[in-house]
Formats: sequence, C-alpha cells, structure tokens
Amino acid sequence: MKISSDILRVYKSLHTWVGITSGLLLFIGFYAGALTMFKQPLDRWAAAPLVQLSAADSQQLDSLINEVLQQHPSARQDITVYLKQDESISAPLRWEVHDKQDEHGHGIDLDAQAWHAGFNALGEPVSEPVKQSLLGDLIDQLHRTAGIPGHVGDEQLGILILGVAGLLYALALISGLIILLPTLVKDFFLLRAGKNKKRFWLDAHNVIGITSLPFHLIIAFTVVVFAFHDVFYGTLAKTVYAEVPMFGSRGGAPAVQYDLTELAPVADVIHQVKQAAPAFEVTQLRYMGLEGPRPLIRASIYNPDYLVHGPVTAYTGVHPYTGEVVMKNMIPGEGSDWSGIVMHFFALHFGSFGGDPVRWMYFLLGLSGAFLFYSGNLLWVESRRKKQKRDQPLPQQTRSVRWMAAATVGVCLGCIAAVSAAIAGAKLGHWLSAADINGFYLQVYYGIFFGAVVWAFWRGAARAAVHLLRLCALTTLLIPLSTLAGWLWPPSAIWAHMSVPTLMVDVTALVAGAVFWWAAERAKRRMVTATRDSIWSLQTA
Amino acid sequence: MGCKMSTTDSVKKLQPHWWRKTLAGGAGGFALALLIVGLFAWYGPGGIRAADKVQFNMWMITPLWMLIFSLTYLFRTGWRALLFMLVVNTVGWSVFLMLRGDLPA
Repeated sequence: MKISSDILRVYKSLHTWVGITSGLLLFIGFYAGALTMFKQPLDRWAAAPLVQLSAADSQQLDSLINEVLQQHPSARQDITVYLKQDESISAPLRWEVHDKQDEHGHGIDLDAQAWHAGFNALGEPVSEPVKQSLLGDLIDQLHRTAGIPGHVGDEQLGILILGVAGLLYALALISGLIILLPTLVKDFFLLRAGKNKKRFWLDAHNVIGITSLPFHLIIAFTVVVFAFHDVFYGTLAKTVYAEVPMFGSRGGAPAVQYDLTELAPVADVIHQVKQAAPAFEVTQLRYMGLEGPRPLIRASIYNPDYLVHGPVTAYTGVHPYTGEVVMKNMIPGEGSDWSGIVMHFFALHFGSFGGDPVRWMYFLLGLSGAFLFYSGNLLWVESRRKKQKRDQPLPQQTRSVRWMAAATVGVCLGCIAAVSAAIAGAKLGHWLSAADINGFYLQVYYGIFFGAVVWAFWRGAARAAVHLLRLCALTTLLIPLSTLAGWLWPPSAIWAHMSVPTLMVDVTALVAGAVFWWAAERAKRRMVTATRDSIWSLQTA
Repeated sequence: MGCKMSTTDSVKKLQPHWWRKTLAGGAGGFALALLIVGLFAWYGPGGIRAADKVQFNMWMITPLWMLIFSLTYLFRTGWRALLFMLVVNTVGWSVFLMLRGDLPA
C-alpha cells in the first residue's frame, strides 16, 4: 500500500512522541495487568494458613449470618458469604471494619480490619479478627494506577493519568499502523536477526504490535472508558440526554423497612439464582446495605464457558429479604442487546471468557504488550544515539539519550523486580514477623522500584541493565525458594501450599527467574561485545 | 481566521502543526464524537429511551474520538483542522439541537 512520504513523516513523529511519553506508564500497567490474570492463585499462594472455619449446611450458615449481623454493625453494610473456600478464604463469612468512613469507596483501605466467622472443629461459632493479605488487590491497584498515589476529588490520580496514557496509546497504535502499512506485506513476520540489532528490535516491535493489534486497540479503548466514564456520563447527561433520564426511573416504591431477622435463607437465595441462571455455579453472595434504602445481595455466578462482566464471574442481584432476583439482565444471555455488547467490552479487557486457556493467553499478551513499550523506548534511544565515525573519537551521547535509556531500564526492570520481591514478601514478611503485611508489600515495592531507578541513572543504562536483570532474577526466584524453604524447614513458619494453582505460581516464577538470569548474562556479554558507540557498551556508559 | 488560512494554504506539504492539530483532534474531535453518539442515541435503533442503550452510547464516545483524533493529523495544516472541526461541530450541533427541539427550526 502506498502512502505519501509526508503522511508517513508526520505519523512517524506522532508515533514517536506519544509512544515515548506514555510507554513507561503503560509498561507498568501491562506488566501488573498480566499478573492480575492470576490474582486468585497469587492470593492463595500468599495466604498464611489460618485455622479453617466452616459451616456444615445452609441452616448453620443462616444462624451464623444472623448472629454476626446482630453483633457487628459494620457487617450490615457489607459482608460476603463464600460458598467455596480455599487457602485465601478461611471461613464462610468475611467482612471489614473501616476506621474512617470511606465515602466514595474507591481504592483500597489498608487500615481496614478484616473479620471472619464460621464454626470451628468443635462445632462452635467463632467470630474473630484476621490478618488479611491484600497482595492481589495491591497488584491490581498497581495495574490501574501505575503506582501513582493520590486522589483528585473522588477519582484516583493514577487512574486518570493512565486514562490519558491510554489515549496517547490509542494514537500510537493507529499512527504505528499507518507507518507500517506500506511495508506491511513485505516485512510481516520477518525477523532479521543479523548484524543490525536495531533492525531486529524494530522487526520484533512491529511483529508483536501487528499480531496483537486487536488486543491493544481493545485495551486502549477500555482504559480510556474505565478512567473517564463518570466524565463521559456527565457530559452525555448535559449535552445529549438533557431532560431524558439516562438510567430510567429508579422505581418510586417507598422503601420498606425490613428487620435483619427477616433475611431470606441462604438456600432460598441460591435456589432463586440457580432458577434464573441454571448454567452457572453460585460462588459468593455479597450482602450490601442491609439497613439502607436499597439492600442488595450481589451474587457471583461462575461458568468459564460464558463471556462475563466481571474479572472472573458474572453477577446478578437478589433482594436480601424477599429472595427475588432483581438484576436478571446482568446474567449473560439474559440482558438486552445493548448490555450484551457492553459486556463484551468488559470481558475483552478482563480476559474473562474461556477459563484458564484464555487467562494464559491474556497473561502472555500482557507481557508482550509490556515488551512493546520497552522495545519502543529502546528504539527511540537507538535511533537518536550518535554513531562513531571512522577514525574519529568516540562521540559523547546526548543527555536525553542517556537518560531515556536509564529511565527505561530503571522503571521497567525496577517494576519487575519490585513486584516479584513484594510477592515473595508475603512469605518472607511473615517470617520476619512484619506486623502489617500490606504495609510491608508497599515498602518493598516502592523501595526496590525507586532504588532501581536511582541505580539506573547513577550507573548508566549499560551496567544497570545487567545489575537489575540479576535483581529481577533473584527476587523472582525468591518466590519458589520461599516455598521450598517452608516445605523443607517447617519451623520457619513459612507455608508451602500444595494445591495446583499455588504450585503454578512457584513454577511460573521459577521459569521467569531463569529467563531473567539468561537475559542478564546476555546483557553482560553485550556490554563487552557491543560496538563502542552503543549505549549498551561499557565505553559509552 | 480566513486571512491566516491563505498564508498557510500556499504550503503544499503536509505540515505537522502539532499544537493546533492536537487541539482540533482533542477538543474538536471529542465534540464531534459526542455529536455522532448523540445522533445515534436519539435517532439510531431503539431511540433515546431504549433500555441499557446509554451504556453502549457512553462506550462509543471513546473509539470514535480515538479514530477522529488520530486522523486529524491528515489535515494539511493545523488551521484547516481547527476550521473543519469548528464548522462541522457548529453545524452538526445546531442541527442536532434543532431536531431535538431545543432550538427553533
């Protein structure tokens, strides 16, 4: 396809500048996002073993719910009934007590005290505070904010910044496609691993960009919507809908005051949901606002064969007192055509269709996306460095080239090392008796991340790449090593869960650690063998 | 604005004009995307009161905006991009408001 050189030139600049401004933020978003594909296995891996409380049947559960609601007012706001337990879910009931009233409910309240309740081995009801690890939620938070703290009004600053990055990323994708079009057929799937390293990186950047373009377009599009949906709805209300109510009427029926003792039995609720969604398994019931004007049970319903709204499950709503299913249209296949289309957008962002094979595919797509941004930045550096002319002294590289190389290495590798260390920190923190494990995760993450960035600027990209890749390898290998330590040496009080999903965390980390070590060795060799004017050569660094 | 057009018009090559085109694509492109969604919301399938359609409408703003924004750099000059957005949005929004009955027809 022929495109005039004018257009190519303009879109090449556009691609370069939107890419370089959003690349590092997007790297963090994609890397952490890839990990959130396995949030549940990570949480199970990180969960310290607790005495498991249980409920024998739904009647026991009913009496337990009743007792907890009577004794703990905060549970009336929000309490979850887990119908399936695993390493990270120690009891059938769990709720949180918040110190401060979190009005908007955005973000994670790290100061919340979690409680759980169930029956112990003697059949006695037990309600007690528990320490809960929020590792999965924190990785999710890193994914959504790139680790940028703070709020703007009700919104998290990091989410808004990633929303803007998502818009730049969309421009980068379309401009990247335009500049590739003329050579697309000729160069497609061509990886020229020759002497010209830049050609190789460019080919890799292009082939990954083109093959995963639909995924990237979906992610860019959904990120912008996730960040700005309130703004968009507000604008629609003012400019398009005007007097027409956007969400229909909320129903004028006066709120009926129910008594907590009138709750529909759990067995009834499950029965009603199963009637409404026969293909699905009910996994959780979240009771919300039981004393408010709109009490609701949000039922999580699971079937990997369906494309669903949530990251793992679909949802439907049940009235807690009448047991009536009130949000039937959220059940996959039950809603209007419009909500069906919108459900696709959610599912395509979350990878919540097709079960584990799709999760692995999304994991790999997320990592390849991270590679796209890393390689894009390195290409920027490579095309701007000054080359040594024959019989001339080694040129001094510009500050922007040296700093961008250092920032890329520091931020990207620092993020990887910091996340791995924080994951391993679940077990090591317990061993070191960290009082507040969630605070410990944050200290480890930010400490290593900023340490890596400083190190990269101090030692230069060439040396730091080797050091930080080794750090990535070591911290990632700490994940399986900590499990091994717990298994070999029980007095350490480190646990070694043996369920398949948690062991897969160890195996994946082992493979990733080996890959990082191999990359570190390659980078070390490159430091010596690279042409002297390369940014990766010791002479330049 | 017209006199500035004539000076830049003589340049045949596609000009980068980053700030003007970005303003045209960012602000003007957003208004245009919103207009298309607005027309679709009222006069597209199901009309304005179709259940759940508002969600779909909200979601559609972004892809339209992204597409218009990225193609804005194809305008030969920044002023042309801005002028195009200004005219299309003024005319389009006037027609939309008239159709909706907020403006006298």
